[in-house]
Amino acid sequence: MVENARSINIVASLILIMGVIFIFGPLYLTLATASHSYEFMLQNGLTWSFGGNLIANFKRIFTETSIPMQMVNSLIVAVGNAVAGCVLSFLSAYAIVYFRVRWASIVFALILATVILPLDMRFVTTYQVASNIFSPLNAVLDATGLNDAVAGLFGAPFHAEWSILNTHLGLVVPLLAHGMGTFLFRQFFLTLPKDLFKAARMDGAGPIRFLVDILLPLSRTTFASLFVLTFLSGWTQYLWPLVASSTAEMQTAVVGLARLVPDEGAVPDYPLIMAGAILVSIIPLTMIALLQRYLVQGLVLSEK
Amino acid sequence: MNAIDPAIHVAAANIRLDGVTKSYGKMPIIPNLDVEFRAGEFTVVLGPSGCGKSTLMQMIAGLERVSGGRIVIDGREVQELEPKERGCAMVFQNYALYPHMTVFDNIAYSLKIAGMTKAERRVRVELVAKMLGLTEYLGRKPSQLSGGQRQRVAIGRAIVREPSVLLFDEPLSNLDAQLRHDTRVELAELHRRIGATTVFVTHDQVEAMTLADRILILNKGEIEQYDTPKAIYHNPASVFVARFIGSPPMNILPVSGDGTVLRLSDGQAVAECRLKGSFQLGIRPEDIAVYTTANASALRADVRYHEDLGSHSILAADLSGTMVRITTPFGSQAPDSNVLLLSCPQQRLHLFDAVTGKAIAGAFTAATKEKK
Repeated sequence: MVENARSINIVASLILIMGVIFIFGPLYLTLATASHSYEFMLQNGLTWSFGGNLIANFKRIFTETSIPMQMVNSLIVAVGNAVAGCVLSFLSAYAIVYFRVRWASIVFALILATVILPLDMRFVTTYQVASNIFSPLNAVLDATGLNDAVAGLFGAPFHAEWSILNTHLGLVVPLLAHGMGTFLFRQFFLTLPKDLFKAARMDGAGPIRFLVDILLPLSRTTFASLFVLTFLSGWTQYLWPLVASSTAEMQTAVVGLARLVPDEGAVPDYPLIMAGAILVSIIPLTMIALLQRYLVQGLVLSEK
Repeated sequence: MNAIDPAIHVAAANIRLDGVTKSYGKMPIIPNLDVEFRAGEFTVVLGPSGCGKSTLMQMIAGLERVSGGRIVIDGREVQELEPKERGCAMVFQNYALYPHMTVFDNIAYSLKIAGMTKAERRVRVELVAKMLGLTEYLGRKPSQLSGGQRQRVAIGRAIVREPSVLLFDEPLSNLDAQLRHDTRVELAELHRRIGATTVFVTHDQVEAMTLADRILILNKGEIEQYDTPKAIYHNPASVFVARFIGSPPMNILPVSGDGTVLRLSDGQAVAECRLKGSFQLGIRPEDIAVYTTANASALRADVRYHEDLGSHSILAADLSGTMVRITTPFGSQAPDSNVLLLSCPQQRLHLFDAVTGKAIAGAFTAATKEKK
């Protein structure tokens, strides 16, 4: 039912304007604060007026903080998350949809379960595994008693250690354990004609050929949607990078921004922090501006 | 037209299935099938949905594995081979064209995979396009084509490789009635020109009757009858076949024989026959004659309704508790009274076993011979 009365139009417009103020108010305050000096802010608090220190604050971000380098880290995490996520999701959805895999529905259910079991809920165990990615293997060998046999044969039990904490790999890999992309591709594959795979086989195309020649070109927009979504989620990750990286050189920009707030009771340098926040937002903002279409498509698809 | 015949004409191969079985899990789809599709023939596999006809076709194509038995194409066992090594091509029900490729690329894709050079591909594709009237559409995407054109692209994609076996999986079911008729005529023409062994799966009896050199009727994965359309129509091997072919379908009436005549359940005598016991009697709607004048030996039936189709009309009548349909040639003339006087010519009757439904051969000929 679409009403077209004037009064309703006015009320609707008012609600929309309030929404815009609600969203843009803090953004404006960020921009205004970033344009003042620390001293001005100490005297006047946060103000709605603009000052002349915006460029100077940006310069300070580059000279006094690790944010620029941390933005490179963020980029590695975001791109790594997006690329690896797309490839893994594409391949797993391909296997689930096009092959008669034993227990396929159970595998898919397990993949989907990661959506309701996000990283934040598996933090402690994820940290344990990241600190030594062989720890599950070691535990299994110990529990099954296989290690006793190994110890008998070689004189020492099997024990391997490899920590991926404080590495780019360690920042990205735990984020990948997420079923949304697989779901997205699965839904897309199911919309394609059912006999496409068979037709390609009749034409002499094997599974790889079908993947490359038929499925990949058809999946372009799904790839774009998933890329934007996972890139943004990778860029804005906070908790995992905070825990998994212990040095400033390994931290991501979002973590670095939070670290600009001094630990003691001193008043934080808000103009500097706000300038940093603006810089850190530029890349995802550009991304959204350029690939908005795909972002919307991806959101619509993932909600179905 | 004739000039391009030799270029696309292929050496047809015969297909033999030896004790082929197929089951999904514990559910048997095809219990045991022995059948031969002769080289160059157009065979229609006909059956209700779920009878295993599509599975049969996919097993020939190599898209489904057999659970047991052998498939021999042109003297070569193929059941373990990949589809591309079997020399088969297939047209799918929903066409399954590659949506992102042009018509040209769709048709040329198999040639490209086979490693044919660009120039060779162009020659072949253009030849096929000319044959199917697709030349001006070669640059278009499938989404820019009508249903009939897509259908032809799918056929083009199949024949461009010059397969010795052509498989069709209900290819006409997505077309509207007029287009279906036109395409049927084109397919018959195409088959005559290419000469490939053709297996065509459908549940439409009109397609089967008009296209087939031979019809294979499947029911629950087993052969009900495998013969020419004419033979199947005139000598159905079972009640299932009798009911499946013909529109309106054959009338089936329960009868009992006392050694001299067959009687309907209400006691009216239909025909002379020496057999004793319960049977099912079949007669085609067009074989029943309607008397316009009083006749003592006629069967009496109550008229229920009357459909006038212009060229002929269909009468539905209650004959001893069974609804029978009668095709009458006299157009719009509805019978005056509610009581219809019928006769069923003895030589047009079919007798089937009451339990198995299988036809009983010579049930009436013996009786007539003795009479003489």
